[in-house]
Amino acid sequence: MINRRNFLGLAAGAAGAAALAACGSDGPQDKSGGSSSGGGGGAASYWSLSGEPGEPIRTAAIERFNKANPDTKITPTFFQNDAYKQKIKTALGANQGPTMIWGWGGGGLKEYVSSNQVEDLTDWLGQNAAVKDKILPSSFGAATVNGKIYALPVETVQPIVLFYNKKVFERVGVQPPKTWGEIMALVPKFNEKKIAPFSLGGQSRWTNMMWLEFLLDRTAGSEVFDRVFAGEKGAWSDPAVLDMLTKIQDLVKANGFQKGFSSTTADSNADQALLYTGKAAMMLHGSWSYGIQKADGGNFVKDGGLGWMNFPTVEGGKGDPSNTVGNPGQYLSISSKATPEAKEIAKKFFSTTLVDDDEKAGWVKSGGVPVLKNSDSLFTGDDAAFLKDMSAIAGGAKVFAQSWDQALSPTAAETLLDNIAKLFQLQVTPQQWVDAMNGVIGK
Amino acid sequence: MTTIAPPVVRTKGSSSSSGGRSGSGSVTWMALPAFVWFVLFGIIPLFGVLFLSFTTWNGIGDIEVTGLTSWKAALQDPGLPHALWVTFVIMALSWLVQTPMSILLGTFLATSKRYRELLAVLFFIPLLLSSAAIAITFKALLDPNFGLGAGLGIDALNQDWLGNSTLAVATLIFIVSWQFIPFHTLIYQGAVRQIPTSMYEASQIDGAGRMRQFFSITLPQLKYTLITSSTLMVVGSLLFFDLIYLLTGGGPGDSTRTLALEMYQTGFQANLMGPASAIAVILVFVGLVLSLLFRRLGGRADESQLEGV
Amino acid sequence: MSTITERTPATTVTGTPGPRARKSRFRGYNWFGGSLSWLWLFVVMLPIYWIVITSFKTQDTYFITNPLAPPTDLTFENYKAVIEADFVRYFFNSVVITVGAVVPAVAVSFMAGYAIVRGAGNRTLKAMNWVFLTGLAIPLQAVIIPVYLIIIRLKLYDTLLAIILPSIAFAIPLSVIVLSNFIRDVPKELFESMRMDGASEWGTMWRLALPLTRPALVTVTIYSALNIWNGFLLPLVLTQSPDQRAIPLALANFQGQFGINVPAIAASVTLTTVPIVILYAIGRRQLLSGLTAGFGK
Repeated sequence: MINRRNFLGLAAGAAGAAALAACGSDGPQDKSGGSSSGGGGGAASYWSLSGEPGEPIRTAAIERFNKANPDTKITPTFFQNDAYKQKIKTALGANQGPTMIWGWGGGGLKEYVSSNQVEDLTDWLGQNAAVKDKILPSSFGAATVNGKIYALPVETVQPIVLFYNKKVFERVGVQPPKTWGEIMALVPKFNEKKIAPFSLGGQSRWTNMMWLEFLLDRTAGSEVFDRVFAGEKGAWSDPAVLDMLTKIQDLVKANGFQKGFSSTTADSNADQALLYTGKAAMMLHGSWSYGIQKADGGNFVKDGGLGWMNFPTVEGGKGDPSNTVGNPGQYLSISSKATPEAKEIAKKFFSTTLVDDDEKAGWVKSGGVPVLKNSDSLFTGDDAAFLKDMSAIAGGAKVFAQSWDQALSPTAAETLLDNIAKLFQLQVTPQQWVDAMNGVIGK
Repeated sequence: MTTIAPPVVRTKGSSSSSGGRSGSGSVTWMALPAFVWFVLFGIIPLFGVLFLSFTTWNGIGDIEVTGLTSWKAALQDPGLPHALWVTFVIMALSWLVQTPMSILLGTFLATSKRYRELLAVLFFIPLLLSSAAIAITFKALLDPNFGLGAGLGIDALNQDWLGNSTLAVATLIFIVSWQFIPFHTLIYQGAVRQIPTSMYEASQIDGAGRMRQFFSITLPQLKYTLITSSTLMVVGSLLFFDLIYLLTGGGPGDSTRTLALEMYQTGFQANLMGPASAIAVILVFVGLVLSLLFRRLGGRADESQLEGV
Repeated sequence: MSTITERTPATTVTGTPGPRARKSRFRGYNWFGGSLSWLWLFVVMLPIYWIVITSFKTQDTYFITNPLAPPTDLTFENYKAVIEADFVRYFFNSVVITVGAVVPAVAVSFMAGYAIVRGAGNRTLKAMNWVFLTGLAIPLQAVIIPVYLIIIRLKLYDTLLAIILPSIAFAIPLSVIVLSNFIRDVPKELFESMRMDGASEWGTMWRLALPLTRPALVTVTIYSALNIWNGFLLPLVLTQSPDQRAIPLALANFQGQFGINVPAIAASVTLTTVPIVILYAIGRRQLLSGLTAGFGK
């Protein structure tokens, strides 16, 4: 026994030292500007998400830039969503990240900032006011940490809206709800006809969260969550939170969501299929769902079967009914570990290609509302009505709040999603929920 | 292949006596390649993790040595005992389902008949699919609205398979069994074939029925196979990750959150690398205890002798 | 015990007279086992059937049609998309990784297993055995960051070798333990008589232990190969460029930003599985005879 322990102790010492050395801060920093740069002046790397609809447009932008700047080269690499999150974290931790880091802003960006991983772009945007002016001001909120801008808003704004199946409403003979009371009144009517009032991809957790975001905003305004975001102690204890959580559980208990909603996943788009196949009447979802329903739902969207609106008001609620929640943009940051040359290339890419008209047109064509201003004239054809409404919701919102899980730090977001799932499962009471969430405020 | 020539043996036969200790020096080098390799990519990283468990790190910033802070955080989290419990439940139940099924199927397939060979080929297929593919398939089949129930027109199959706490655990065990029974069946099939036919013939003369033969000959003869197969099942179930992660993500709530998932979510989703490393160390420890336990169960005479040395 | 006398004939005989002899083991038909097998066949084949038919459906009919009904109009679009997505290359990469990792892993594990059994009582070897036992329970997710840092140090990042090296390491503990358990069952007298005849340990290992351990070697090879073939985390973290992608990673890429293209995934699963099933069907006899020679005694 003693011998073995000695051996292990010895090994621990030796290996621990080796591991320490490997973990140390003397990582090969010079490499991070793009693994293939080799010092030839103009190379930068760019990591982002793979898949439709984004990848082709991202690739097109980079090709456009590389063509216009033959002496420099941006090399893109695309990863699937979950894979990307793991990949970028591991790479940044080892100082092996790309020049340009794609992200969702908010809490994730804040963590990069506090770890000195990303460049402060405030001054650069000050000098290049023309660039800043081309982008919707509301999109900068999630790019700002402690009053400084650390990322460029890119791609599209994606408000969350209430979608509904017009044909189902006609068949049942009811009108779309304008208030929470009307929602609760509609629930039994749809259930009677064996149609789920709402479709919810409950297994994906963030889908449930959208309900809380809107309900809290409509009941109490955006201030309550602002206090949580600011890390104020006990901020979840606001009576409006309890009220909102009770409302949600009431909706669950009244069978407001389809049977087995906790088994339904959003990543396979099964929740959206429920809506376009008429098995559910309504669905709260991100604006990107439009493109999916158009592609997968046969003639559903083309025949005008899909309706949409901003989330209904809550009777007596303090929130502004124009407020919305969602993704105010996607975000590109520049790695602080990149070489000066790579940083320059990235900035050039930011100030030219990413704000040009082709970029704008590309995202509109994919069915999105660009973060770039003056896109409305591009909204033509079948999708014009939808795009105009989304643009109006995004532009007209008094507050365009970022999704909670992205606004909060990853630590708090994980607890949040966990507790939201339990709330919908009726596994925790509203009070337990509040207590659990108060425990991770500011973490 | 190898560059080192085997050292010449000192004295013939001398190694035969107690434990072969005298001759053992000549074989030690043979274990070195595996050992060095494993130390390099298994043990050194493990000590890296041990080191990280005494630090505070969000995975991207600076690593701060903070003593026992992370251990305290990990041990005080009520999620840890829960995850341990879930791990053991899944481990025990999946063993209970897989073992009898594998033995029965293995015994049946051991007889050489053409159609049984075809069956064996088909049974093998789940083993070839990646956990990702299996998760996606079952998620689709178990969808309460578009899945099996709708396909077969049987309403009873439209359950909240992955959304109800109890059902989710049961479903998970079923899918794990679906994935791994083929492998264990294969092992048992091989083992049953090896049981000498003469033993069955003798008992047949004694008038033993099929049931008695199974319990008095087949099962006892499978003892060591059972231990190997069980070790693989039990230790393997500690490390299940891909399947659960993709199938339920540990949900609903935390009903299927095993230790491995708890560690991943703490580390890579909540960015708490310190506590996550502490959980990893606990996970390794649990696995070590279990594999030792199974070795003891093997109860080999030569081993127990050596313990005294 | 007379293990060896029974084992040897079984190895040589498999295939020919063996079955007939075995047939007489039981009287009549094993109804219980039979019905269980057919039931299990249904359980196994239903998801497989679903994968195959779904691979011929289009994404927009996927939710509208009955999930278990064959597609009304067959489409090969998914297969085309998969092949155009450079799947052949990923398949080749996966083959290189799997073969490149399993062969050395099993070879060094066999040597270590032999040494541990033959050198029983030696403290160094005992310590090594302990290390392997510990290794059984090291979750890859837990050590992935240090592994990643080591690979960067070795300047192997984004190469197939970066996946192969750790894969070998993580296949070793289990292989050593299974193999050493197996070699331990070889009667000591056999080793002694080999050595008496003047054979070195090295020679004894290859000529005596190797043939006798074939079933365990087969098991360990299959087990490791499947783990490595389906491994996702190592390729994800240790490679970057599409040239070095392995199949599981490529599979994940069929998940778009906002959803999974289920029929395309079904097609890629089918496409990657069929070659292995064929390989297995051909090599099965060989494999089974290996296992039949006596597993786990």
